[in-house]
Amino acid sequence: MNTAIGLSDILLISPMIALFLASIIPITAKVLRGNREQHPVITLSQGLIGIVVAIGLLVVFGGAGKTAFNGGLIFDGVTQWMGVIALGAAGAAMIMMYENPSTTGKQFSELVFLALSSAIGMLILVSAVDLLMVFIGLELMSLALYLMIAMSHEEKLSKEAALKYFVLGSFASAVFLYGVAFIFGSTGGTNILGFMENAAELVQTSRLFLFGITFVILGFCFKVSIAPFHAWTPDVYQGAPTPHSAFMATAVKTVSFAAFLRVIATKSLTGSDHLFDILQWLAVITMIVGNTAAIIQNNFKRMIAYSSVAHSGYLLIGIITAGVSDNGAFGASGVIFYLLSYALMTLGAFAIASMLERSENHIVNIDDLAGFAKQRPMLALCLTVFLLSLAGIPPTLGFFGKFYLFNAAVGEGLLWLAVWGMVSSVIGVYYYLRPIVVMYMKEGNAEVAGHSLNATTVTAVVMALAIVAMGFVSGPIFAAVEKSLF
Amino acid sequence: MILSSIVFLPLLFALIVAVWPKSNTIRHLALGLSVIEFLVSLVLLQRFNPSSAGLQMVEKFMWIERFGIQYFMGIDGISLWLVLLTTFLTPIIILASWTAITERVKGFHVALFILQTAMLGTFLAMDAIFFYVFWELSLVPMYFMVGIWGGARRLYATVKFFIYTMAGSVLMLVAIIYMMYLTQEATGHMSASLLDFYQLKIPFVGGTFFSLQTLLFFAFALAFSVKVPVFPLHTWLPDAHVEAPTPGSVILAGVMLKMGTYGFMRWVLPLFPEASEYWAWLFMLIGVVGIIYGALVAMVQPDVKKLVAYSSVSHMGYILLGLFAFNAYGMSGGLYQMLNHGISTGALFILIGMIYERTHSREIAKYGGLASVLPLFTIFFFIVTLSSIAVPLTNGFVGEFFILLGTYQAQPVFAYFAVTGVVLGAVYMLWMFKRVFFGEKGELVKDEHHPLHDLNAREIAVLVPMVIMVFWMGLFPNHFLNYSKASIDYLVNNRSNYNLTIVQPGDASTQQAQGGN
Repeated sequence: MNTAIGLSDILLISPMIALFLASIIPITAKVLRGNREQHPVITLSQGLIGIVVAIGLLVVFGGAGKTAFNGGLIFDGVTQWMGVIALGAAGAAMIMMYENPSTTGKQFSELVFLALSSAIGMLILVSAVDLLMVFIGLELMSLALYLMIAMSHEEKLSKEAALKYFVLGSFASAVFLYGVAFIFGSTGGTNILGFMENAAELVQTSRLFLFGITFVILGFCFKVSIAPFHAWTPDVYQGAPTPHSAFMATAVKTVSFAAFLRVIATKSLTGSDHLFDILQWLAVITMIVGNTAAIIQNNFKRMIAYSSVAHSGYLLIGIITAGVSDNGAFGASGVIFYLLSYALMTLGAFAIASMLERSENHIVNIDDLAGFAKQRPMLALCLTVFLLSLAGIPPTLGFFGKFYLFNAAVGEGLLWLAVWGMVSSVIGVYYYLRPIVVMYMKEGNAEVAGHSLNATTVTAVVMALAIVAMGFVSGPIFAAVEKSLF
Repeated sequence: MILSSIVFLPLLFALIVAVWPKSNTIRHLALGLSVIEFLVSLVLLQRFNPSSAGLQMVEKFMWIERFGIQYFMGIDGISLWLVLLTTFLTPIIILASWTAITERVKGFHVALFILQTAMLGTFLAMDAIFFYVFWELSLVPMYFMVGIWGGARRLYATVKFFIYTMAGSVLMLVAIIYMMYLTQEATGHMSASLLDFYQLKIPFVGGTFFSLQTLLFFAFALAFSVKVPVFPLHTWLPDAHVEAPTPGSVILAGVMLKMGTYGFMRWVLPLFPEASEYWAWLFMLIGVVGIIYGALVAMVQPDVKKLVAYSSVSHMGYILLGLFAFNAYGMSGGLYQMLNHGISTGALFILIGMIYERTHSREIAKYGGLASVLPLFTIFFFIVTLSSIAVPLTNGFVGEFFILLGTYQAQPVFAYFAVTGVVLGAVYMLWMFKRVFFGEKGELVKDEHHPLHDLNAREIAVLVPMVIMVFWMGLFPNHFLNYSKASIDYLVNNRSNYNLTIVQPGDASTQQAQGGN
């Protein structure tokens, strides 16, 4: 086995190196200054520069299916797109952290360090084609997150959220690792490309392999909150500081889906009908659970959390489509495009929630939005765009996300899943309309915390504009995604 | 570029209104802009070639190439008048809302203009996805219009309206996607163009629900039925109407409901000819049930606005009946009735809005003897009432007469029952008219603290164009029907191999051949 590491390997992982360097700058500076926090703006810009550089390096050096570290990592279209989406989301979440009352404290340098470390794990996760690499990425990403949620927050809820996420996350990791062991036992390797080559045959002949792949999938189901493995999601999203919820709901979900996609859909798994039957039912259950549970929520973050469960259900349709197809690129690009739109609108919704939090322990209920449209018409309009997009109303990006996803499903003969996805998105409309109703049609005096929320405001406005503008050029974007996957 | 200009000018106007700095001149600005829009749309009449059944003034280019989705607009005799109805009603609505809308005036006009773009786009889009975008977009401003400027139960009404109509149309989206794949199978490339959809030969098996054409037929028909709304799916309509502010009601009754019946004409009948023929009895039946049910329920309403709302259910039943008669009388009657209903019910809602502004009540029992106090108002109301109950020489007569004629040709039994609707319509409208305008003076009319004033100049200016249209359309129906005759004839005669062609500008000599056969 050739273990030499060449220049190309280094270039390919240069985004991770850049992130690593950027991550240690703030805490080093803090140590050198005698444990005094530097100005948060400086810390934030260091982090953001790291992310921008990493995105640039990923775009320049990645692509075209280059592999690094003996085939352990692959840099193809999926890596690039998902990596860029996740890093972008991480950047936006960091901007929110900079201004949210529960995270602007003494430990902002540590927070940026952890967020960037988590982002390194994400990049590993999106590029890993070896199950052990996937595990490393998953753990690096999650460990930083456990700390982030628990840190810099006085409230009991967030400790509870961190503990819940830690216990269940570790459990999911264990299940995942268990599955990897089975796969190793039955195929003698852990490289996804290696065993997926004849996976369709293996699932029928080797029970051991079937167990293994099932456990691996279950591990992912936990991570991306597919029902009935979603129970942690609302509690953790609600309990965590809002920027962290935004981080988890978008960046973490994107990369977890990327890895999920890679395992299931890199090569067709069409031999395993039962596996796909089960996944189809899981998708249906997830859409039902997410959408119906969201209806009865009064807490804004909890509602978005349940809605993100429902969106996992839609995304699972895309994963299944990519998995049953011989040419998975269509389904896979549907997933990527959907994640792109999902990241924008969810981040936007959380950004607004973040602005509404007046103090560290403030809980934003939907009723608190009463009168928001009169006080801050611009932000209310942005939130309206996010919610309409989440609901899938044209001509927003969210509509096209659903359109491409369900289009792929219909193309692969999964008509009933598409129909079900559409029907359940109507249920979604009901709860997405509620905040709009409250904002515009109820009297009240919703207030936005302080006056120092400029960066978050800009982020929200930019995202709302992007959602509207990208809706009109969704065709070329989708074509670009699909082209990069061949 | 004329069609794009007509569709997107209002969107530009919405932007202008949104950034307009002076809040006290917004109404004037909006009125002026909407008149400009109407004048621009009149160019259509001058450029339109009535002898051709083909698509005219077509604009198209690729929008989303991967799926063959086009930016594709065209106009023919079916959509022409609906476009003009929309642009005609908008200035009237703005003028009618002059004193009715006092809060968030800017937001109201922005919503109105966005809504106008969505409605015009729906009538002109010839690509399924392009159409769907406008179709769904129209829900959003209407939702705000009812939800912000509406009455006491506006939240319930507006959410119900949104969910009902959205739920109706999602299956249509799946059906559209499915048909895109059918075109891919048939032609090798994916397309959402309506013209390509018309070429599809979708298998149909009679006697079962589960044949492809029937399923697709119902997916589309459900979306349009909710919008119309046909009988069992109509419950959102009275709620929305009662809670909506006057301009919202006028738009809803005047234009938005027509999106449903237009959908039947443009999509359902030619795309699924066998299925629509096979299931015509069902739709004629619910049409007739709607006519009688709507009339009976209207009769017992104590609220005059609700009465008119239920009369809409009844009137829309006629349109459905006419369309599914599949003959030239029924179809042109149906199309004509769409316009009539837009004019006369729109005018009724405006009149009710005017009296509501004066008394803040819509209860019939509290009126009485209005005629002696408000003579001018009474005259206008009377004319519109006559139009609504289809008295000869008014527009309503022409539409209903054609529909009944067509229905009689196709299914005499349904015509017998539908005729009772004419009688019932006269009963509830005249009875209401009697109770409101004659007899003992009611408590609102007698109220000495709030003496009622007759119509002012602005209100007369709102009503006069409507009344002119009532008589113009009633006396000279051919002025209007001539424009749509070719398209309707073509639809009736070639439903099973409907093949709209694009008429190039300038080739006047070949247009007949292209479109007609």
